[in-house]
Amino acid sequence: MDDLGTFLAHAVALEKESGERFDALADSLEVHHNPEVVELFRKMAHFSRLHLREVQDRAVGVVLPHLRPWEFSWPNAEAPETPSVEDTHYRMTAHHALLQALASERQGQAFYAGVAARTVNAQVKALATAFAAEEGEHVALLEATLSRFPPPPANWAEDPDPPNAPD
Amino acid sequence: MDGESMTHPNPQDYRSDVKPVWCPGCGHFAVITSVARALAELGLARENVALISGIGCSSRLPAYSTVYGFHGVHGRALPVATGLKMARQDLTVLVAGGDGDGFSIGGNHFLHACRRNVDLTYIVMDNSVYGMTKGQASPTTEADWDGSKLTPGGPGIAPFQPLEIALSAGASFVARAFSGQPAELTRQICEAICHKGFSFIHVLSPCITYRPEQRAYKDKVHQDWSQPASDRTEAFRTLLEDDGFATGILFRGSEPAAKPVERPRVALSDMETQFVV
Ligand SMILES: Cc1ncc(C[n+]2csc(CCOP(=O)(O)OP(=O)(O)O)c2C)c(N)n1
Ligand code: SF4
Ligand SMILES: [Mg+2]
Repeated sequence: MDDLGTFLAHAVALEKESGERFDALADSLEVHHNPEVVELFRKMAHFSRLHLREVQDRAVGVVLPHLRPWEFSWPNAEAPETPSVEDTHYRMTAHHALLQALASERQGQAFYAGVAARTVNAQVKALATAFAAEEGEHVALLEATLSRFPPPPANWAEDPDPPNAPD
Repeated sequence: MDGESMTHPNPQDYRSDVKPVWCPGCGHFAVITSVARALAELGLARENVALISGIGCSSRLPAYSTVYGFHGVHGRALPVATGLKMARQDLTVLVAGGDGDGFSIGGNHFLHACRRNVDLTYIVMDNSVYGMTKGQASPTTEADWDGSKLTPGGPGIAPFQPLEIALSAGASFVARAFSGQPAELTRQICEAICHKGFSFIHVLSPCITYRPEQRAYKDKVHQDWSQPASDRTEAFRTLLEDDGFATGILFRGSEPAAKPVERPRVALSDMETQFVV
């Protein structure tokens, strides 16, 4: 990725989609009365929005191209810091939510590190390196937090009165 | 599609304040996200779009959107949408539902909507189960699926083939997407809306509650159909090789979309003149 505008358009989308998805997951867990995980997802959404503002500040004066949703050069099907919908469960615990958040931050870090390693544009390289370092800090923070939330017992998903009892 | 020369609304503008009640992890979440992104990408005004559905978890989409919506009767989304489009050619009409809604109780309407070629975009979220009514077999369920007490040992019937049937019945745009690949799904929805005629998008959308094994879809799907066929026979040949997990736009025809018949308006006074002897 050698164009500064294109790179920043990716960074904006990465943070925006991450915030929106964390909020959507929080909404979904709220409906299913899991307040601990809701709080965690809301915090992650808030952090994503703070980072979005940071990226937008850095983009002042740069023309960002409009990329259609399918024109982004993401390594996978979605923007790298977007937590996956399918890893959620209505009885998930803070431990699971932190694992999900950690995975998304790690993917963000790897994305920026990859751009920094490959680009020939010095400005893009400097910014991608800085963003990768920031993501690295978030990874370390989440790892430290995770150590305070050990894995739940193996039967965490068991529900004596499941909402999905078959017919 | 011209993506460069316009300002794009925020996809969130197409989302209502109603929070989805779907199970966390359900594939349908990605579908409403993709619909909103597609509408924003095309810059469609909310008041010029209608989203029609039947009944089922998948049919809840209109509640989660700010465009005009009609949450209809089970299996009857397509007739409602057909009537609306015929009366209001200016509207972009989307139809959403599930495999039960669209292929079981609504199967007859599906055939005739394909053959009428009304300019609609029909999105079916297929999870091969009746999710909303707690996990019964649907027309696309595998013959040996033993997950419901109602069909011990499995339904024992060869599954319905939505793409083959849509092609045979005359649909002029046929595609398949996976909810786990929302960018591709968004692209297909944009293409389907821009296509003039009946557009059918078959979305593999896992029901993680009654078909938890569908979480493995992400390892099974493969984007194979990079270029849509414009020849129906060629599309059929492609389907002969289909394992049910190929994604992309399979077929885009050029048959003209149905238009309402302009009937001469007869006023009462005209009739009176005919009675004059
Ligand atoms: C006339 C009528 N018959 C049956 C039902 C019960 N019913 C509600 S939703 C549904 C099936 C939904 O399955 P599907 O369309 O695949 O949607 P999903 O919930 O899987 O997304 C059925 C049979 C009904 N609501 N109305
Ligand atoms: S029952 Fe299945 S289809 Fe319905 S919301 Fe839950 S996961 Fe989705
Ligand atoms: Mg279904």
